[in-house]
Amino acid sequence: MNLQAATPLLILAVATGLLLLIIAIRRAYLLAAGATTLALLAALLSLPYAAAATAPAFPGVFTFNAQSLGFIGLILASALLVLLIAIPYWPAATPVPREEFSLLLLIGTLGAVALAASTSFAALFLGLETLTLTMIGLVAYPRYRPQAEEAALKYLILSGMSSGFLLFGIGLIELACNSLNFAEILRFTAPDAPTQAMLLAGLAMIAVATGFKLSVVPFHIWVPDIYGGAPAPSAAYVAVIPKLAVLAVLIRLLPTAPLSHGLITAITVVAMLSMLGGNLLALRQGNIKRLLGYSSIAHLGYLLVAILAAGAIGRIAVMFYLVTYALTMIGAFGVIAALSSGAEASDLDKTTDLRGLFWTRPAAATVMTVVMLSLAGIPPAIGFIAKMYIFAAGVHTALWNLTSVMAASTVIGLFYYLNVILMMSMKPGEAAPRTLRLPMLSRLAMAAIFLPVLGFGIAPQPLIAALKAVFG
Amino acid sequence: MSLVWLLVIPLLGGLAAWPAARLHKHAPRLISLAALALDLAICWPLLHAAPGSWLAQFTCPWIPAFGMDFRLGLDGMSWLLTMLTLLLGMFSIIVSWREITARQGFFHANLMFSLAGTIGVFIALDMFLFFYFWELMLVPMVLIIAIWGHENRRRAAIKFFLFTQGSGLLILIAILALAFLHQRVTGTLTFNYFALLQTPPSGELGFLTMLGLFIAFLVKLAGFPVHVWLPETHTEAPTAGSVILASILLKTGAYGLLRFVVPLAPVAAHAIAPVALWLGAASILYGAVLAYGQSDLKKLIAYTSISHMGFILIGIFVFNTLAWQGVIMLLVAHGVSTGALFIIVGSIQNRLHTRDLGRMGGLWTDLPRLSAFGTFFILAAMGLPGLGNFVGEFLILRGAWPVSPLVTSVAAIGLIPAALYSLIAVQRAFHGSADTTRHAPDFDPRETAMMLALAAAIIWLGVYPQPVLNIAAPAYSVDPSAFPRHAGEGRHPRLYFDIPVSRA
Repeated sequence: MNLQAATPLLILAVATGLLLLIIAIRRAYLLAAGATTLALLAALLSLPYAAAATAPAFPGVFTFNAQSLGFIGLILASALLVLLIAIPYWPAATPVPREEFSLLLLIGTLGAVALAASTSFAALFLGLETLTLTMIGLVAYPRYRPQAEEAALKYLILSGMSSGFLLFGIGLIELACNSLNFAEILRFTAPDAPTQAMLLAGLAMIAVATGFKLSVVPFHIWVPDIYGGAPAPSAAYVAVIPKLAVLAVLIRLLPTAPLSHGLITAITVVAMLSMLGGNLLALRQGNIKRLLGYSSIAHLGYLLVAILAAGAIGRIAVMFYLVTYALTMIGAFGVIAALSSGAEASDLDKTTDLRGLFWTRPAAATVMTVVMLSLAGIPPAIGFIAKMYIFAAGVHTALWNLTSVMAASTVIGLFYYLNVILMMSMKPGEAAPRTLRLPMLSRLAMAAIFLPVLGFGIAPQPLIAALKAVFG
Repeated sequence: MSLVWLLVIPLLGGLAAWPAARLHKHAPRLISLAALALDLAICWPLLHAAPGSWLAQFTCPWIPAFGMDFRLGLDGMSWLLTMLTLLLGMFSIIVSWREITARQGFFHANLMFSLAGTIGVFIALDMFLFFYFWELMLVPMVLIIAIWGHENRRRAAIKFFLFTQGSGLLILIAILALAFLHQRVTGTLTFNYFALLQTPPSGELGFLTMLGLFIAFLVKLAGFPVHVWLPETHTEAPTAGSVILASILLKTGAYGLLRFVVPLAPVAAHAIAPVALWLGAASILYGAVLAYGQSDLKKLIAYTSISHMGFILIGIFVFNTLAWQGVIMLLVAHGVSTGALFIIVGSIQNRLHTRDLGRMGGLWTDLPRLSAFGTFFILAAMGLPGLGNFVGEFLILRGAWPVSPLVTSVAAIGLIPAALYSLIAVQRAFHGSADTTRHAPDFDPRETAMMLALAAAIIWLGVYPQPVLNIAAPAYSVDPSAFPRHAGEGRHPRLYFDIPVSRA
């Protein structure tokens, strides 16, 4: 069996075992974190090698084509960035052992990679559950924080329910089509195929589970609670990695799947509700992590607009938006992580906590400003180009309803992003800042976020060209 | 290449001014001033740089995936507005010398970034690049209002931000539609202004596209009924912010209408002209009547801006060279006179700690120089013959008369409340007797020199306006020979009838 194409997956699997061993032999935080970084880097660097493979690895279970490898690269890079913000977040004074955080992150990434490459429901479910279960661990990691435990419990119950939906759906589909392979199942959904109630019910249940994972309205109720309760690096992970992995499968399958008129209408409605709902609900938020949760709901809505706007512009628009989303979401949580400490009872996540940040910690405030501008879609940040891309896709395919709803909700969204910036520009409050200098790694993470957000906002062509080469 | 420097120097100046506050308290001011002076030295000789309507140009690929270029071009109109930007930028730095003491490194960085964005708006000839600069000039200005503004600065900043950003989205959608319509006709996707000129959109979609641009620029111009952001924003901003807002940023709306709406969608622009004319007349009357009722001197001046921008709106949408000349004239003259008025109000506030007309009175005895300049510029803004604003307003009314005598009459009626609010402001602020004894210093030499320069400019504009008219004249008829023609074009983009203009 030729396994060249599956190299990134294998590297992550082997590295997980090794990391367990390392932690068992010698507990050292930086050793474990360093090993995880190396594993993720190795998997990332192995992508060109995997792309050069001539024979498929694990046919029928996984697909490692250019597109899925591209998504895997995005997942790995995002995981690396999350790790970078997480390492300095846990100080030596953390009341729990710190090594397992990187372990959980690595296992979750393994699950996400498996999910992104899956081509059968068996692999999909396996990957998804690996990812989901480790995320519960990541959310509940500071178990001395009641709000983290509460968030994890909520996530456990709700994601268990969505997994139940998914499994039920898979079962129904398996009964109807006698197969777990996506390609074979899609053959049954062709317009000329006889309609099967069981298949339809199964697909509907899977749609519910997908909606939950993507956290679009009306499956969004869990988002603010989980993001708000989780420690900042875990929230970044939950906000980005599972969405990337699920979208990897969806975007791979959608062009081959015949979408019925009804389904397109349903996705349109979901997109509109997500854009408006996310932005409206974020308006009255005083907690930045919850605000980012609502913001992510809105951003997934924008993304659905690009997905609906099929065609060459739409495809690159989706990818460009995903890169932007991953970068800016991790960036926003990253700034909070850099300002907070995992050892304390809560993160520095109230909007009022940021008061006067421009004057107490100008570097962090500048990064946060650029990230907020990016989320709001204002130059010179990358989010501006991403928003332009989606508007271009929408205008090009004459999706006027969606485009106008997007324009309206973008304006609503401006308000709360600007509010964060204005809060940082106000005079510092009475409470003295906890630390005045950021640790070296935090500064590195800030730079790793700031440079691409600003650089690709000014000169996006290299990124567009790269995305076209991989996904075009 | 000099156009690129025109943009880069203020940006670099802003970046350098930011940390320079640690060195010395004057360092950011001097750096910003030097950067603008250097820019001025680059911009001035461009006037005679090349024959034809385009004085300078620069193109290099930016985002080839969308056919977006980094395309800059400077014609007479752009040159005038860029010069206005640079000059008033320098004045706003000088006026902040005493007013801004906190975090002045960051203040000057924002000021310079905003000015760089404005210059970009005036010289960008790729539609998307234009939009990029359009958005870029906004955030620094919002921060200037929000950090260094007066009492209700936060509210004003948010209002300003939402209005401008919301209208910005309309521009984005409209230019995307323009580009895709062009692509449908010619097969190439481009945001090049000259290419888009060849394919004026038609039909309902063309009208909607133009409407999007029209509304967006109307918001920026603060025309009635989308002016609501202006009074609060201008009143709450620090003096430098008010000067830039009123003298420069308002002009970007007029520039957008002149440069983009009228040439890009001539049919649709003609279709909406009656509405635009009446909105202009409404702005004139509304702004003037509300200015009359203000007791806050700064707010009064803000409302007069709405009134004057009404003239601009009428002038643009009567589609003749006479009125367009008046528009350019009024843009420059209003920039100078209103900038000066905001500087004077800022000085009054610094000295008396109030902007309330009821608490002024009798300033002439205490502050004769300030009061004399104040009276002069209020009269200039009112449109006193012999001063720049008069020339602009007269040309506009003269050009509008053959097109729509009714609108012209209504607009002319607006001059009556203008005289009323001007004279009442002069009387309440400077005349009468003071109810308290004040120990405020009069204008020092720095301020006097600044005021003399602005006064000289307004007199020159009023007495000998021909040079300004000549500089701007080529902009009214887009000359296709100056830029390489776009492949597959057939239509000659000469717009409307030309009235010969003497080119001395």
